[in-house]
Amino acid sequence: MKNLVLLACATFIFTTSSFSQKYFTKNGKINFDATAASSPEKIEGINRSVTCVVDTKTGNMQFAVLMKGFEFERALMEEHFNENYIESDKFPKAEFKGAITGNEKVNYAKEGTYGVKVKGKLTMHGETKDVETDGKLIIQGGKINATAEFIVPLSDFKVSIPGLVADKVSKTAKISVACALEPLKG
Amino acid sequence: MKRKKMIWYILLAVLLVLAVSAAYIYKEYNRTYEDTAEIKPDYSITAASLLKEFEMDEPASNKKYWDKVILVDGTVKDLAKDDRGLYSVILGDTASMSSVRCNMDSIHNKEASAVKKGDQLSMKGICTGFNADELLGSDVILVRCAIYSKE
Repeated sequence: MKNLVLLACATFIFTTSSFSQKYFTKNGKINFDATAASSPEKIEGINRSVTCVVDTKTGNMQFAVLMKGFEFERALMEEHFNENYIESDKFPKAEFKGAITGNEKVNYAKEGTYGVKVKGKLTMHGETKDVETDGKLIIQGGKINATAEFIVPLSDFKVSIPGLVADKVSKTAKISVACALEPLKG
Repeated sequence: MKRKKMIWYILLAVLLVLAVSAAYIYKEYNRTYEDTAEIKPDYSITAASLLKEFEMDEPASNKKYWDKVILVDGTVKDLAKDDRGLYSVILGDTASMSSVRCNMDSIHNKEASAVKKGDQLSMKGICTGFNADELLGSDVILVRCAIYSKE
């Protein structure tokens, strides 16, 4: 009887720890690249405090990021990004809420690389738009490396680029997300 | 003769204005960030009090702390390193999911390599706000951080 209880406990601990269904990170990275094709320099900001959660059972996923946390090469770029384009005082956060389509085809218990589609709503600069893109999941050592790239027209999010810098700042932004997700305990 | 002299003066003045503004634009354009370690902090607070303030009233705290240099005292509960080797020092109570996350400035990144869990540290960084999350715990995020040393 005692052994049975022990076995039951062991099985419970084993199953809950090895099949955690939610994975998360608070160290995700987003590259915001709005470099125009004709620009001699890179207009790119990097944020390395992206919060991301993926529910492997349902495929639901979301990420959130503080706009003021984007770091640029030049101080002036960062100021323009925050004050003129993104207006981070008014709209401090950007977030994505969506799901991995075809999630059932991903075997989270098996190591490997899976190409997926991600679909959902992206909120930035106070505007919410439907977005869809290709993503990649690399499952290795009990962790998930998730990457996706969104190409979004800045006008969709009511971000206007003044004519003066139109040759440097692109009308579309490439938003690359990279997250190393770990199982969420508890 | 007098007129010719005047034209010269005007030309000289215009050139001077052009040169000064060109120098200003060049300097402004290439301006880099000020070293956080060299800036006097606007606020000095413990990690726990800072989190509490944001939890109680996020909009007011945003107004108070956004873009300000804050000196935060706390216990290191974790240390994270990204794919480019940049560290984030995470201050807070291990019993709570919430923390003050300090992203090291690249020029001060080396300072974090010797940091261990449980260390008592003062971090200086620029506040970018509060990322509230019920499931994952809420964080105050500081960027361009340096470890503060008293000497």
